[in-house]
Amino acid sequence: MTSHDSNGGAVKHRHRQEGPQKHIVAFIFSIILTLIAFAAVAAGGVNTAFTVLLLLVMAVLQVLVQLGYWMHMKDKGHMIPIVFMAGGFFVAGTAIIAALYWMWW
Amino acid sequence: MAHAHSVKRYKGLMDWLTTVDHKKIAILYLIAGGLFFGIGGIEALLIRVQLAKPMNDFVTAQQFNELITMHGTTMIFLGVMPIIFALMNAVIPLQIGARDVAFPFLNSLGFWTFLFGGLLLNLSWIMGGAPDAGWTSYTPLSSTDYSTTHGVDFYTIGLQIAGLGTLIGGINFLATIITMRAPGMSFMRMPMFTWTTFVTSTMILFAFPAITVGLVLLSFDRILGANFFNPSMGGNPVLWQHIFWIFGHPEVYILILPAFGIISEVVSTFSRKRLFGYSSMVFATILIAFLGFMVWAHHMFTTGMGPVANALFSIATMLIAVPTGIKIFNWLFTMWGGQIRFTTANLFASGFIPTFVMGGVTGVMLASAPADYQYHDTYFVVAHFHYVIVGGLVLGLFAGLHYWWPKMFGRVLNEKLGKLEFWTFIIGFHLTFFVQHFLGLLGMQRRVFTYLPNQGFDLLNLVSTVGAFLMGVGVIVFLINVVISFKQPKGVDGDVWEDGRTLEWAIPSPPPEYNFKQTPLVRGIDAFWKEKMAGNKEMTPAEPVGPIHMPSPTILPFVMSVGLFIAGLGFMFTKDDFGNGLLNFLFSNYIITGIGLAITFGSMLLRSLFDDHGWHIEPDELNDKGVKA
Repeated sequence: MTSHDSNGGAVKHRHRQEGPQKHIVAFIFSIILTLIAFAAVAAGGVNTAFTVLLLLVMAVLQVLVQLGYWMHMKDKGHMIPIVFMAGGFFVAGTAIIAALYWMWW
Repeated sequence: MAHAHSVKRYKGLMDWLTTVDHKKIAILYLIAGGLFFGIGGIEALLIRVQLAKPMNDFVTAQQFNELITMHGTTMIFLGVMPIIFALMNAVIPLQIGARDVAFPFLNSLGFWTFLFGGLLLNLSWIMGGAPDAGWTSYTPLSSTDYSTTHGVDFYTIGLQIAGLGTLIGGINFLATIITMRAPGMSFMRMPMFTWTTFVTSTMILFAFPAITVGLVLLSFDRILGANFFNPSMGGNPVLWQHIFWIFGHPEVYILILPAFGIISEVVSTFSRKRLFGYSSMVFATILIAFLGFMVWAHHMFTTGMGPVANALFSIATMLIAVPTGIKIFNWLFTMWGGQIRFTTANLFASGFIPTFVMGGVTGVMLASAPADYQYHDTYFVVAHFHYVIVGGLVLGLFAGLHYWWPKMFGRVLNEKLGKLEFWTFIIGFHLTFFVQHFLGLLGMQRRVFTYLPNQGFDLLNLVSTVGAFLMGVGVIVFLINVVISFKQPKGVDGDVWEDGRTLEWAIPSPPPEYNFKQTPLVRGIDAFWKEKMAGNKEMTPAEPVGPIHMPSPTILPFVMSVGLFIAGLGFMFTKDDFGNGLLNFLFSNYIITGIGLAITFGSMLLRSLFDDHGWHIEPDELNDKGVKA
């Protein structure tokens, strides 16, 4: 089959088979993060500013788990996607923050 | 494994409509880009005729606005970008030793969406008036209050569809360059044109989403009555300027970086020397790309952002002169002590260097915010950006076309005619635009459709018009040269310039469908040159001869683009009264839009449901053709 590869001899990134444990742990962790977020809103009692902050923290953790485990960002050989995503965040962040700052403040 | 799939092979027109071969798509891009370049050029000549003398009434003010808008939009989005994509498609897979791009289907889709977006935009001429708010389409001028025809709708929808093609192309080249380089070709062994294509594609990936969002907001404002840019309803017109330039400034580097790559290849080949300072060239390219995203507000110095913003963007802009200067000196040092041959390609490359420096110097002048208050919206700006885009990019494209023409078509362009073309074009260019610096400094505003006599504008404008026609002559000589070249029999030597350094010169001209019979092994920078210096006539193969997997031709990308075209056209006219019950019903209920989208999404569904495994060229077939690797 190798000779049929249209991409010639380019290096292939093969994921090492790892046990399901890590994925199960990551999955449970994502669920817990979601539950905390829902619970914080459902409980109501706490003040709004705290709830918003908590939701943001949960959201960031959730993104990290998703990227790291499900998008394989933590694995080796994913440097290019990481560089490109970081670059994209940086460029978009700069543009949005600077444009909004000079338009409305 | 060796089960040869039978594949339907098309002939004639169907072959071109269904092709997914990067070499044929390159030719399609070249033809379509050349056509739009011609249209944009004719618009430019009409503008210059109108401005040739004071108080001229060759065109009306409204027609003039439409001409300048369409000239800018057509040249940037439909003229030079596709010609850049033509060269990338023709050369990149060959330079990295690949058999095609990573996603041949997407490659075809990118071309057809660009073409139909461009056709839609140009349909505006015969459907009630072209866009007239400038290529920047600043709000509120581009809002329905001030721009009452459908012109700006053609701009938003047409560019949206064409932009889709560019984004697809950019992603495709990123994936191709990252994953499909031949064994041994590390990033720091990639040819310079591959490097600049890689960085340009990254910039497309980051910049085009901004214009996509901007065009969506503007079309919602105009067609669906939203208020993103309407201050009386809480919107902000300055938001459009930010969004446009967050895209627009990277866009001009998207244009110029491939030209830098072309110049690097041409100068190095015709100096018979390796490129001076290769790693600093790579570094400078990346730095220019990075800084290109950090300077968009220098187009908005007079918007009133305040001294802090102006100072920051001013400094950031001036910084770009540093990596650009590195490149200029590297080209000069590459030529220094080389055995220089002034072929047409190298003439264009050598003409590029001083001309681009002049555009760069006025760029630094414009970067100074206080001075920019004087230059803003005058002909000084027009002179500046034509020096960098025409004197930079277009000269680069001509260099690249003359250089790679034999590789693309198997025929050489005539050198004598090429030289005539170079001299008429570059003299015409400087006549046209050099005087515009002074027109600007004398106070002539850009985008005015006429001017009063005896303000010192008369003679300079006439000179500029004469120059523009001389440039037109240069382009016509090029077209004659193309026609003459096709009278020759096909099949020049693979390494036609004899000093080819990179992998594309190691295979026949034009290359066979599969490019490389065996994937080559890359043993250093300038891989083919290295083998030649080691006494080898051809590249060392990195694999045994085997069946070659090829993608199947398909009509789906064409159909998908037709669907988008119909949907766009339908969406634009939703609120119009056609004086015809049936048409009103069809348009106002989004039925036309729905039909168009159904065609597009239906084709996507077909593409997903029916797997296409491609087909194989068997080894005995390779040998039958007697093609050397």
